[in-house]
Formats: sequence, structure tokens, C-alpha cells
Amino acid sequence: MGVKTDHRTFVIERDLPGTVAHAFRFWSDHDLKRRWSSCHPDWEVLEDRFDFRNDGDERLIWRRPDGVRQAMVASFLDIRPREHIVYAYAMRTNGVTISSSLVTVEFTAGRSGTTRMTFTEQAVFGDPKDGDEREHGTGAGFERLRQVMEEHAQAGASAP
Amino acid sequence: MSAAHPFDHMFQALADPYRRSFVERLARGPATVKELAEPTQVQLPAVLKHLRVLEKGGLVASKKVGRVRTYCICPDAFDPMSSWIEQRKVEMNAAFDRLATLMAETPEEKDH
Repeated sequence: MGVKTDHRTFVIERDLPGTVAHAFRFWSDHDLKRRWSSCHPDWEVLEDRFDFRNDGDERLIWRRPDGVRQAMVASFLDIRPREHIVYAYAMRTNGVTISSSLVTVEFTAGRSGTTRMTFTEQAVFGDPKDGDEREHGTGAGFERLRQVMEEHAQAGASAP
Repeated sequence: MSAAHPFDHMFQALADPYRRSFVERLARGPATVKELAEPTQVQLPAVLKHLRVLEKGGLVASKKVGRVRTYCICPDAFDPMSSWIEQRKVEMNAAFDRLATLMAETPEEKDH
């Protein structure tokens, strides 16, 4: 079967209003971080831990409305206040790891009191087939769509 | 789900029978606009409009050499791995939008 994992890297660069110190607060303060990073008000929070220091961990465990347990577990590897944060994290659905990532968030001073934030995530995804079976949403629908289109393409190719 | 989800463009792109026929044709290999228009009863400007919708949906890509524009299918368009990473990027960008708004609303603390 060969290799079943896949590595993907993406970078997001943003200019933020405020100084580097101000930006760093929103990553290092538990309450402030939750105010922008949580985006699922309908998910019930089962555990919320935020230990922002080197070797400290962050754990967020939710129960989704469909009953599925969703977890984000992270470990802070290298925190340099107002410079960068390096952390590793995994996303788990019902205890199965969907992705594991290394993230680097870098902060540099921009023009006139703004901050340039560079977010780099290197993600390892498991076998996409497993993912499609687990995902009730877009993943499974997407795979069906791909199959339908492949069948169409083949039918088209074999036509006289 | 976010209103700007990339799948919105994709499903919109596939909602039209002409556009689906172009995708099926391009799944067999690259083609010029003229080649795509020939088997249909659609005028060239309308074909170009359909192709732009497909391109926005991330399903096809185009390249212009001289005066001839050639379209091809995006090999990653139906890759579930890409859909995951795209979804992650959309979510992170939405979170950073909230971060920027919150930072602007919150006064700076004095250095200590």
C-alpha cells in the first residue's frame, strides 16, 4: 500500500492592528485567545486547559451537536515573548487523529505600530479514505462527487 | 460554516450542465476555448463566461500562449487532502479576522 500519510505546509501572513506586545497578549492570555480562536458556539466544551509556557499544554475537548467528540491537543515547544511561538498540535475526532501539525507563529513590528504575523503550519494528514469514512460532512460528499465525475469522464471517453 | 467556503464556488461551478460538460471534456485532456465551444451550441463569449466560473471554483486552470487560451483540469480539484487543507486555511483566516477585530477594539496595555 505504501505511504499513507501526506504532508502539507501552508503560510498565512496578516497585518494586525496594534504593537507586537499587543498581538502577543491575544496568543498568551487564555481568555483573550478563546475570544478569537473558538468558532463553534454550538459545541459543548468538555475540557479547556491552557498552560502557556515551554512544555506546557493546551487541551480543548468538545462534544459536537451530532454527539461526536472533537479534540485539539497542543504542546508549546518554544515560546519567545513578542517574537515567536512554536507548538505542536493534533486534531482528533472520536479519539482518532485526523491531523498532526507543527505551527510557528512569528511576530514582527510593521509600520506605524502594526504587527506582521506569519503563521506557518506543517500538517501531516492520515489516510484520506479513513478521513472520508469518519467525516459526515464535506469530505464524504466530496469523495462521492469525485467518483461520479470520474464515471462521467470514463463514459464520455468510451463514447464513439 | 463560513459563507466564503471554497466549496460554495465549486458546487456553484458544477450546477450548470454546460459547465459539467466542459469539466467532463477537460477530464480527458487539455483543450482550447474553440475546441470546447465546438460541440456545444453556445457562443464563444458565453463559453468563456462558463470557463471563468469553473476557474473561480478551482476546477480548471487556463494558460494563454500567444492568442490561444488552453484550459485543463486541476489535478488537485477532487483530492480530499486538498479539501482538508483548504478548509483549515479558511478556518484560520476567519479566526485571524476575529483576532484583528478584537485587537482593534481592545486598548493596548502599558509595557511592564
